[in-house]
Amino acid sequence: MSSINSINSIEELLKLVAIACAAASAAILVWYLVRRPPLGRVTKVLLLLGLGLLPVLVALTGNIAGYEFTLSREFCGSCHVMGPYIRDVADPKSQSLAAIHSRNHKFGDQSCYTCHADYEMFGAITTKLTGLKHLYYYVTEYAGTGPDGEGGPPIKLYKRQDLEKGKLTQEAFNKRMNGVCGQCHSTYAATWVEKHGAFADDVRSNAQICIDCHNEIHPTALSRRPGAQKAAAEEKK
Amino acid sequence: MRHEHVKKLVFVSAIATLLALALMAASILSPKPILLVLAMSVGQGIGTLSLALYLLAIVLDLQGGGVGDNALEAAREAGSGAKPPAAT
Repeated sequence: MSSINSINSIEELLKLVAIACAAASAAILVWYLVRRPPLGRVTKVLLLLGLGLLPVLVALTGNIAGYEFTLSREFCGSCHVMGPYIRDVADPKSQSLAAIHSRNHKFGDQSCYTCHADYEMFGAITTKLTGLKHLYYYVTEYAGTGPDGEGGPPIKLYKRQDLEKGKLTQEAFNKRMNGVCGQCHSTYAATWVEKHGAFADDVRSNAQICIDCHNEIHPTALSRRPGAQKAAAEEKK
Repeated sequence: MRHEHVKKLVFVSAIATLLALALMAASILSPKPILLVLAMSVGQGIGTLSLALYLLAIVLDLQGGGVGDNALEAAREAGSGAKPPAAT
């Protein structure tokens, strides 16, 4: 009963179902491998459960739980390269944009995904594909780097590299950047209008992006530490 | 002979499924990026392949008259002249 009470989310419930199905499936398969009974009807049906139905359930529930977990800050922070970012957003005294937003109880646990995911129709898919690319770079370029990724290539600013490579136009880049903030900030709240009156139309038309002014997003990031700019410039030469 | 093939297929299928389950369970218990990707690609690939092997084994088994009828199978292997049931 206490273990049922300790399930606090759908993700935890799905994990429990997946593990239970995996255990049941493994029990059937081990029984078959140890006893080697003749392939009668009962054995066939049991094997169909152990080889088909239960593993499919494990895969389905495991996939959903896995995808859910990939949205979490904990998941993003599991790569050591992200250490400085994660420590900053978890610091209750930090005034960086990322830290302030990560303290929001509505989405703070998923703050990386909330701000960095593509938000178009296939945004979830393109974000996961980008994540696979990140994993590739992690394995090939950052695996042997220092505790916070020191010694690895500098981390490019979000979407800025696409703009620099010409994959995104300036207009599309601005729209994406403001689109992230616009998920919550409508630009029509009275306090916002009061503070941003002079730029309101420019921001709404994406002629100006929010982070032009609110640019202390990840101040402890590797690329923004003292000396990092110089090192990046030397690397370019 | 076909019966031996069926048994081997089921054996391989069971071992492969255990491997796939281990990968998927590991990714659930310890959700690290590499484990998750392995479970969702290699793990599920092996799982699908093993299910296909099992279904193939069942089809082969049914084509051979069904090894579920153990007495008949034993009689056939012993060459006692017992005939499989006529197809309906």
